[in-house]
Amino acid sequence: MIVAELKPFEEIKEMLKDYKKIMVLGCGTCVTVCMSGGERQVELLAFSLKMARKLEGNEIVAGEKTILRQCDPEFIDQIKDEASQYDAILSMACGAGVQGVAGKLGEIPVLPAMNTTFLGLSDGHGSWFEVCAACGNCILHKTGGICPVARCAKSLINGPCGGSQGGLCEVSKDNPCVWQLIYARLGKPDLVRCLGEMSKSRTRPVNPRKMMREDLKVKKEPTKGV
Amino acid sequence: MTEKAMPPCQAACPIRTDVRGYVSEIARGDAEEAIRIIRRVNPLPSVCGRICTRLCEKACRRAQVDEPVSIRALKRFAADQTKSLKLLELPQNSYNENIAIVGGGPAGLTAAHDLAWLGYKVTIFEAQNVLGGLLSEGIPEYRLPKKLVKEEIDNILALGIKAKTGKLLGKDFTLEELLKDYQAVFLAVGSQKSLLPRCKGSELSGVISGVEFLKQVNRGQMQILGDSVLVIGGGHTAIDAARTCIRLGCSDVTIIYRRTLDEMPAGPEEVEDAEREGVKMMYLTSPVEFMGEGKVRSVKFVKMELGEPEASGRRRPMPLENSEFELQADTVISAIGYIPDAEALIHNGLNINKKGTVIVQDDTGITNIKGVFAGGDVVTGPLSVIEAMASGRRAAEAIHRHFRNQTEQELANVVALRSLDDDVVKLINKSERKKMPALPVKERIHNFAEVDLGYTYEEACREALRCLNCAAGASVSETCAACLNCVRVCPFGVPVPGKEIAELDISQCQACGICASECPASAISLQIDGKADFRQELDQVIDSARQETPEILVIGFYCRYDSPIGPPFDSDELYWIARCCMGGLKELQILYPFETGVEGVLAHACKKDECRFRDGSRWLLEHIKRAKRILKETGLGEDRLSLVLGEEEFTSFRERLNTLGINPLRDRKKVGP
Repeated sequence: MIVAELKPFEEIKEMLKDYKKIMVLGCGTCVTVCMSGGERQVELLAFSLKMARKLEGNEIVAGEKTILRQCDPEFIDQIKDEASQYDAILSMACGAGVQGVAGKLGEIPVLPAMNTTFLGLSDGHGSWFEVCAACGNCILHKTGGICPVARCAKSLINGPCGGSQGGLCEVSKDNPCVWQLIYARLGKPDLVRCLGEMSKSRTRPVNPRKMMREDLKVKKEPTKGV
Repeated sequence: MTEKAMPPCQAACPIRTDVRGYVSEIARGDAEEAIRIIRRVNPLPSVCGRICTRLCEKACRRAQVDEPVSIRALKRFAADQTKSLKLLELPQNSYNENIAIVGGGPAGLTAAHDLAWLGYKVTIFEAQNVLGGLLSEGIPEYRLPKKLVKEEIDNILALGIKAKTGKLLGKDFTLEELLKDYQAVFLAVGSQKSLLPRCKGSELSGVISGVEFLKQVNRGQMQILGDSVLVIGGGHTAIDAARTCIRLGCSDVTIIYRRTLDEMPAGPEEVEDAEREGVKMMYLTSPVEFMGEGKVRSVKFVKMELGEPEASGRRRPMPLENSEFELQADTVISAIGYIPDAEALIHNGLNINKKGTVIVQDDTGITNIKGVFAGGDVVTGPLSVIEAMASGRRAAEAIHRHFRNQTEQELANVVALRSLDDDVVKLINKSERKKMPALPVKERIHNFAEVDLGYTYEEACREALRCLNCAAGASVSETCAACLNCVRVCPFGVPVPGKEIAELDISQCQACGICASECPASAISLQIDGKADFRQELDQVIDSARQETPEILVIGFYCRYDSPIGPPFDSDELYWIARCCMGGLKELQILYPFETGVEGVLAHACKKDECRFRDGSRWLLEHIKRAKRILKETGLGEDRLSLVLGEEEFTSFRERLNTLGINPLRDRKKVGP
């Protein structure tokens, strides 16, 4: 899932200082699941903004809406008419969602309420961890299901650096050394084989990336980049 | 057919009383709303609050944890507390048909009530001089005061029902005659003819029937019984007769029953009461012969043992060989059951079966005579008051359909919520059932004063809060994002990951509201706690507070489970809102009062480890923290919100609010959605 967290309230307030009527737009998928941009957060953020602005003597109208996904054009169409009544849209989706909405709504400014942080996993107790870098060249079958690209501070793919101590990363002692984890999972012989296979050089992807499926095209031209 | 699981108490009630609904109103301290809910289906709440056989309590799932909720006592509380409340609603419609009700007992009264309310012209024909049937004459005053029965009957008659008392079917009128003036007749004459044991000597004087005996005492016709009385039978009538004998001064009263306490139709509580008053019990004993010359002097009995179960499920008692013995008796009261008086029924052309009861087509009570419906004990044989009432209701519906040419509505299939899983039962805190306060034995055995005294306000609130809110818990809507937070936070482990959304088995939900308050998609709602209700309640509280115009206004939230009889403490500027578990109090609910200009909000937390739902205080703390952060960010200041454990903390909180001054948002336009 895509993990995102709410921007500092001051920053959001600053972004909205020139607007009088905004729509706070939640996203019902990843950011709902990571408890940062779903319907309940929309209610709370809208409430906070209204209260803060009222206290400043500069009231703001903050409408509330949540759609299932801001990364699909059909869902954005559902709010197009309503959105046109607002000065700006404050999107609580990930960066993809914000751009999806901005691309569809034309003139209306679309502003991000979130900082999109990573692709991650939940531990079920309120913590999320980055585990995938979306590098486009998966090697998890070789590394015991543990990704060094995303989980090594230096993204080293051919073994640990010299800085790892006591199983912990030298960059941040809060994190385990991912190569230590891979070693623990694979054992020595498999690790050696893994490192051998890793020696080939990997090409870095060129941004922006695309995925085109000719078979899924239906008559109209594919959506141009947003 | 639609299927919706009902709380077991409601499913078990023959008239489908919304038991959970009125019990939860009592838990909130609102007896008026409780009686409104009861009266919607029950025109005899005071009566049922005292003598109902309470099938609801037998079904109550609280019994899986400790003991059932004392539902009947709560109904009585609601009825007793609201005596002065006028609830009479007059019929909306008016129809031309005249309907005769023959028999003014519970079945007849209920049918009369329902038909009059629908708009028909109803006349009750009652053989006795008072209405009520067994309610007025068959149940002793100490258990059901006649004054209350009369009040409830008067309430029913106030719908415009005529009553003709002292009119006996077969003697004063016939069905044929009735059908000339009335377009339909509901026959509910009950079953009043007592059965006598089939043994020698039952014709002796001094051998009397239980129902007859109770009627005579109720009419004030005193009996000369002698010192020793033997009462034969194990039902309510037997117990009533024995306890009445004690009150009439008999020194030696024994109930003889052929089975054991476990099989007794009267409950153990009634038996216990009788024993405390001095009634002796003799089980597994059956009469063989009544002996004496002209008048009974003694009874020969035989001991019994229980054999194979019979059709009723109870084990059949079998006589033990050579176990006969004799007991002296001045009077023998037989209370082994009663049947309808078949003679009058046959004479009036009704088809009756071998048991002497009227044959009807189905539940609706249609008989072999066109326009004549029958219900209550005359159809079923002796059952309970509540079942007779249900029968009256079905007949009234059938009669209405008959006149309005409506087809029978397809009734929703009643499915009772299934029982609690053992894993859930283990996690529910035990809570003792409050015994009904009663007159001390010394003060009751020489008179007919009502024995049970009824709950006080506090006792009723506490008892009502024992209700597990069956089927009123959480449900997940399709906006669920399957984040599984509910699965993680539920103190009872009820929600589980489903294929698309979280699945929440409402039969196991305890309605604490924690999952709903933590759901990021606002996809969970609790039936007992709607969002709109909360805003409405809060606005009302704030509006009424504003009229008092206090300098500083504070809204306090407290938990009903923690403080059952009302707010934990009081102060002039403090206005309380009760919640059932504070864990379900959402951040926005905590914050909303500030928007309306309130100076401070406090939440009274329950004592550590005393939360009814285990985790409530923990979640309250989290929600307070998050709300404080928002108050800080918006500039109103986090000090205006406080978690308070007692009055002392409130004092310092109030001082802090005095320093902070009035809420800058006060008296400005609301900004809420």
